[in-house]
Amino acid sequence: MPGFDFPPFALPPQARALRGEVRAFLKDALADKPSVERARSWSGGSREFSRKLGKQGWIGMTWPKQYGGHERSYAERYVVIEELLVAGAPVGSHWVADRQSGPLLLRFGTEAQRERLLPAIAQGELCFCIGMSEPGAGSDLAAVRTRARRVDGGWKVSGQKIWTSNAQHADWMIALVRTGDAEQKHAGLSQLLVDMKSAGVTVKPIANLTGESHFNEVFLDDVFVPETMLIGAEGDGWRQVGAELAYERSGPERYLSSIRVFLEFLRVVGASPSEAERLLIGEMTARMWTLRQMSLSVVGKLAAGENPAVAAAVVKDLGTSLEQDIPRAVQAMAGPADDAFERTLSYLLQTSPSFSLRGGTREILRGIIARELGLR
Amino acid sequence: MSELRALLADTTERVLARAPGWAQVEEAGLAKVLVPESEGGFGGNWEDALIVIRACGYHAVDLPLPEAILESSGAKDKALFAAMMLAAKMAGALQAALDLSVEYTRQRQQFGKPLASFQAIQQQLAVFAEETAAANMAVAAAFRAADRDDAWFEIACAKLRANQAARVSTGIAHQVHGAMGFTAEYRLQHLTRRLWKWGSEHGNERFWSDRIGARIAERGPENFWPDLTE
Repeated sequence: MPGFDFPPFALPPQARALRGEVRAFLKDALADKPSVERARSWSGGSREFSRKLGKQGWIGMTWPKQYGGHERSYAERYVVIEELLVAGAPVGSHWVADRQSGPLLLRFGTEAQRERLLPAIAQGELCFCIGMSEPGAGSDLAAVRTRARRVDGGWKVSGQKIWTSNAQHADWMIALVRTGDAEQKHAGLSQLLVDMKSAGVTVKPIANLTGESHFNEVFLDDVFVPETMLIGAEGDGWRQVGAELAYERSGPERYLSSIRVFLEFLRVVGASPSEAERLLIGEMTARMWTLRQMSLSVVGKLAAGENPAVAAAVVKDLGTSLEQDIPRAVQAMAGPADDAFERTLSYLLQTSPSFSLRGGTREILRGIIARELGLR
Repeated sequence: MSELRALLADTTERVLARAPGWAQVEEAGLAKVLVPESEGGFGGNWEDALIVIRACGYHAVDLPLPEAILESSGAKDKALFAAMMLAAKMAGALQAALDLSVEYTRQRQQFGKPLASFQAIQQQLAVFAEETAAANMAVAAAFRAADRDDAWFEIACAKLRANQAARVSTGIAHQVHGAMGFTAEYRLQHLTRRLWKWGSEHGNERFWSDRIGARIAERGPENFWPDLTE
């Protein structure tokens, strides 16, 4: 079963050289950033930081130069995002655009869409959000009801999206909408680029359990979307979403989200930990090292032009389990420690339940894996 | 996979799938996978050897083939490399137990349909597949590292990860097999009983976690990521 085949992938020399460059940049750019803020990882965003990264040429790295990209390899991009995540850089403003919206436009978008949007994404100027989930369509994504009705020169879109991360900051939403009949379940779906400044778009932040607002409700009330903002062909939305989710699920952000509390734990236990502490460190290290090898293997598959959807599901489920086990195990093991440690731990204990929900729930991923096994 | 490596994989499969004696294994040249061609061997590296050793685990073959390969290798730290061999056998045995569990649940019917059609079974087997993939990844990366330089860390992680995977997966294998898997006659016990034995040999989870943990702590948080990505 090819989905479970993970050939080792070694980073080429130019990717290794790049790592030092990125580390030096981040050391400078993030000096004095406290641990608990680094723990926010890709949930935290700063337009200013995204522009800086754009200037470095570290957004849209693999895209063609004609669209503002840098024609670097997948391996080089991997190194950059690994270093950004481990350093806890505020990458949230461009993260979705770089990871999936840009690649989606590159693959399915029109020439005009690419020319207009990709260079701005690569400069760190644009923030995208993903308009997939709705009140009645979460794991059952094909149940989306937001409707796009044809009018002169385009569509009028009406409906509601929910759990939309970054919608309150986003310039654009890529919205999965129903352009056909409800009976045509998958075939009736299309994706539209919605300008978040359009009349009829209302964004209401939803406070999460930490009191912060990352996700939102988005109400679309007869929003006009020009004809030119259809991505690919009408009725092609479901296939596009499938391709997009492989990008969304395969990256190192699916096993590194809790690394900050692990590093804090190493700091407070010091060079001579107790046996119990050593056992915890050893267990988590072996799991993390293995996941990194798997994540690299997925990069190798992407570089070879494969669609590693099943491998990505394997990495994400194993990775988010590790991200959730680390804060819980660290809490069980930790003695009295300082404020920086406690705040980082507390933040990750509270946010880690979302890791196995966002980007496809654990149960959905296991369903994908079961299908590859031939069980369904 | 290179043509030569594919040939090795074919030969390995052909010989080891038939519960061979030592004579057949020797005749096929499997013990000489690391021996240079000039000395009548296959002239392979550790990644080639992995194919043969993993297949010993997959087919539950107890012949001293990994030991013969290790002996011919000139590896200095024999105890460490013995752990690597065993991790590879565990990765193979996990794959065999997974294949068996998938096959069994697709055939066995209850409530008028195959066990495989129940989500409760599917979700467990998905975890089994993930753990098996992780063990195989760790082992493959360790064997690749063994061809390069000092592979202590990679081998330590690989044996530990294989032990972790075996602990989780053997439980699932038996659960989805029901009473049939608990019989002496059915093939599952040939795999799971070996996995339990191998989980203790050449370092159990405590043994390797302790050593890895001590090394990581000694290097400190500022070196953790640089070391991991070196």
